[in-house]
Amino acid sequence: MLSLEALSFVNHGTTILSSVTAVIPDHSLTCLVGPNGAGKTTLLRILSGELKATSGRLLVGETDTSLLPQRDMAHQVSIVPQDIQPPPYLTVSELVQLGRFRPYGAIWRRLSRQDRVAVNASLARCQLEALARRRVEELSGGEQQRAWLAFGLAQEKRFLLLDETLDGLDVLVKKSSFELLKEVAAEGKGVVLTTHDLDLVTQFADKVILSSGKVVYEGPPNAEWQNRVSPTQIVGWIKST
Amino acid sequence: MRRAVIVLAALAILLFLGALMGVALGPVKLDMHQVLSAILSGEDRTAHAIVWDLRLPRVAAALVVGACLGLSGCLLQSSTRNPLGDPQLFGLGGGAAVVQALAIAGLIQIGTWALFSLSVAASLIGAGAIALCASRQGVSPARLALVGVSISALAAAAATGIMAEARIFSMQSLNFIGGSFANVGWRTVLPALPFLGLGVLLAAPVVGNLNALSLGDRVAANLGAEPGRTRAASIAAAGILGGIAVAVAGLVGFVGLLVPHLARLLVGHDFRRVLVVSIPLGAAVTLYADQAARLVFMPSEVPAGLVTALLGAPLMIYVARRVL
Repeated sequence: MLSLEALSFVNHGTTILSSVTAVIPDHSLTCLVGPNGAGKTTLLRILSGELKATSGRLLVGETDTSLLPQRDMAHQVSIVPQDIQPPPYLTVSELVQLGRFRPYGAIWRRLSRQDRVAVNASLARCQLEALARRRVEELSGGEQQRAWLAFGLAQEKRFLLLDETLDGLDVLVKKSSFELLKEVAAEGKGVVLTTHDLDLVTQFADKVILSSGKVVYEGPPNAEWQNRVSPTQIVGWIKST
Repeated sequence: MRRAVIVLAALAILLFLGALMGVALGPVKLDMHQVLSAILSGEDRTAHAIVWDLRLPRVAAALVVGACLGLSGCLLQSSTRNPLGDPQLFGLGGGAAVVQALAIAGLIQIGTWALFSLSVAASLIGAGAIALCASRQGVSPARLALVGVSISALAAAAATGIMAEARIFSMQSLNFIGGSFANVGWRTVLPALPFLGLGVLLAAPVVGNLNALSLGDRVAANLGAEPGRTRAASIAAAGILGGIAVAVAGLVGFVGLLVPHLARLLVGHDFRRVLVVSIPLGAAVTLYADQAARLVFMPSEVPAGLVTALLGAPLMIYVARRVL
């Protein structure tokens, strides 16, 4: 479980996050929803250990992470950020294999049998077996997103953070990806996804955190959450995306 | 992995043949028997002097400098995600060039060890500037290369200015600017070895992280690869290696740029393999370039740097067209 206790983040005098308090459980698909500029990406960067909150605490289980280096957080949390440029030569298979990377490994280190199983399972789950030898750069936007999703899954960490990873996919693939994430969450992982697709959030999420710099709603995607999002806000979000 | 082993074996054979060529061929040709007896015994004093005092140290210098440049270029290209990474192009050898120019002009008179240490320290200044620039998010490869070229041009102008002011227009200064192994003795080669070892030792712990850096700092950090530390160690090692290469042979250009690209063609894109192959490949390219430099126009010779420039310049244009 990730516990956010009154987390605030101020960047060059601008408050991005203000006293965010929320709980992200294991075994669940948590969707982080809000308009552009609401600090969703910043929140994911704090959860991954890349940024330290200006104030407040982030707990992994019972452990306060404020003094933990990012390297230690990396054991627990994997993140797929937005807009990553892979090197032009990298194939899908090589990208997913990098998910099994071990820092400061020996120069001769090779993938173990367990690593290969994880890589093949991730490729299969994201329906990428046929594309495994293709270069990531050559793939369509949606296929690239799936490749990055497979990279995140291959890491097999306790929490998987996805920053709008599914937003570039077509409707059917997006729906099957949500189903996949739900399945992954049911296996015990805490999956956190930022997204603008409110219909699929309502359909699949175990938990919704509606954020606009501070938490507006935290809970299941029931009637109450939909009441918190007014039609005017939705139109505004759609326009902003 | 098997491919890397085959490439390494082929390079070992190439290096052996190149070294043999370097020892046997020249204005005085030696046959195999003469070479062996010169190495193993001192019966033929002339052959012994030619082999031990002139040709072997030159071969060793080309091997050491080539290994330094190949490794340095590979570390720069991988740690900065920049296909133009090269110790000369990035200005890493600039500080060492100024120190060497001061020594050639007689403005500093210190022993080889001290001179080499000073050269390496000076090249680390250029390395620091590149590390600082590369650590900023969103710095394009072209911009990083421009910073390096500026440092390099500034240092080359300073070095030329120092030698011009001291009215040094000798073969020594020409060889230094062109990059040459002529007149290199054991007293130059041996002090370079600990610096090569230091560069390797500094880079060794972080080599395993270089593949993760290819995905960008954010992803690399999340994988636990500590991009800041990895890049700092890599560029510092590249600075030491680039500096010592300049101290031994002057400005031998393009080897650091050319070799990692060749290595990638041979063993694929895994930086660990590229790095391991870049060391003997750099040594081989430099050794054969020096053989061409001294044998093609025999009995006179040209600086080895001219030969490496002939190989490297077209590649630089190719890389610039393809990647930038």
